[in-house]
Amino acid sequence: MNMNKELIKNKLFALIQFLIPFIVVIVIWEIIVYFGLIGQLPAPSAIYNKFVYLMFEKNILTNHIYGSLYRLILGYILAIILGIVVGSIISLKKIISDMLTPMLSLFIAIPTIAWVPVLLITLGLGDKTVIAAVFLGGFFAITYSTMHGIRMVDKNLINAAKISGAKKLSMFISIFLPGSLVSLIPGLRLAIGYSWRALVGAEMLAAMVKWGVGKMIYTSRFWNDVEAMFLGLVIIGIGGLLLDQLLMRYIERVTVERWGMVSEG
Amino acid sequence: MDNKKISSIIFGIIPIILFFLFWELFAEYGILNPALFSKPTIIFPKLYNKFPELINHLFATIYRLLVSFFIALGIGIAIGMLMGYKKIIYRSLNPLITTVMTVPGIAMAPIFILWFGFGDPTIITIGIIVAFFPIVYNVAMGVRSVDKQLVQAANIMGGKRKNLFLNVYLPHSVSYIVIGIKLGLARCWRTIVAVEFIAATSYGLGYMIWDAYEYLNFSVVYGGIIIMAILFFTIEKTAIRQLEKRTIERWGLVHEHE
Repeated sequence: MNMNKELIKNKLFALIQFLIPFIVVIVIWEIIVYFGLIGQLPAPSAIYNKFVYLMFEKNILTNHIYGSLYRLILGYILAIILGIVVGSIISLKKIISDMLTPMLSLFIAIPTIAWVPVLLITLGLGDKTVIAAVFLGGFFAITYSTMHGIRMVDKNLINAAKISGAKKLSMFISIFLPGSLVSLIPGLRLAIGYSWRALVGAEMLAAMVKWGVGKMIYTSRFWNDVEAMFLGLVIIGIGGLLLDQLLMRYIERVTVERWGMVSEG
Repeated sequence: MDNKKISSIIFGIIPIILFFLFWELFAEYGILNPALFSKPTIIFPKLYNKFPELINHLFATIYRLLVSFFIALGIGIAIGMLMGYKKIIYRSLNPLITTVMTVPGIAMAPIFILWFGFGDPTIITIGIIVAFFPIVYNVAMGVRSVDKQLVQAANIMGGKRKNLFLNVYLPHSVSYIVIGIKLGLARCWRTIVAVEFIAATSYGLGYMIWDAYEYLNFSVVYGGIIIMAILFFTIEKTAIRQLEKRTIERWGLVHEHE
């Protein structure tokens, strides 16, 4: 019990410490705008008012957020599944993975946003394009880190399993998959960042998409609605932070760090 | 180059050639709609014909990439070092950095367009912002990871500030700095192309493919993507690879274990 209280106290302290810089920035920002030092910069209070207006009076902000989340989750899960499957299949034979690595690096070098025109051409101007962009953003990074991870698996372990007569499938599940997590989990973390950015970019460019935080920012441009643009940025920042620091860090902590595969960092 | 390297290059090229071959055949026999997917035998001659214009697009993008990356590198290393030295600076900046770091550059574009207008100022500013965060984050981590006993030892022996920096902090945090440079450059590249989509006025690879898309000139879209892949692949395999070789391996952090 006591331990728990201590833990909660520490967490709370860390949270406060985390928030203080934001409070300072917001206060300074408000003052700067109040005295009109920078033109066309909306005050934090104005952004907050916009938030209240869009959220509670017009009730459209939740639509934007749900629209984005839905595409992110769908595209990212697709990327995880296909990335791990493709990465594993390629890694079955060393020569094939050696052959395909350069091609994969070429694909990774392409900014995800550059795929968007191609997707608009082939999949249309709507949701499918955005989901596909989210998918592509994550897919190559996950495939690559799966391959990298499988390559790093200890050869002695593989030989030991072979000698004890392990079948291919059970070898994959109990040796290759856990062994590759050292590289796969950071890969997943990197990939969700790529997917997140691809999501926002694709929403801005896909004309038929109605809801989405990226869309919100983009359409605000036509009304010169700077408050809504900043509100969009704030939502994207908080969303990205939650995804990266809470979700992905948590997964790292309970998997590779707990198993002592990497030191905490 | 030894034989092993040559054979691995040949091995690597085979799948790429096969990829283009299948693309061509599929488009030729109607499995892929050639109106949408174009085909390599149309794309490459098209690129060849557009060559002078292409060079302009290419240089516009490379110029923006280099300018924003090096400005970000300078500011990032300076602030990152400060964050590593002084805990209070780290504590006050780190939350802001980890939060703003996740915001995609393209999302900032509408605001900067409003402030700076279309063109280079907007693109380069956003390039600096996105490249800055991974660099500053990793430099700060690197300096913080330096063994405090080493610093004390250097202090006891009367090391001056400059020497402390050059002989203790820099070599011991270099692997982090290189990671920061790698991530920063990659993000800078991706973001600059993305922002060129909506903020460039005349040249740039991103501008080129978005413009081609709007005029339904699909073979240029595919050609542009091929050029982007080759360009950044080359940068990574030459500049970044050299940097890794000369710093991490030279200053021995990797080398010692081998």
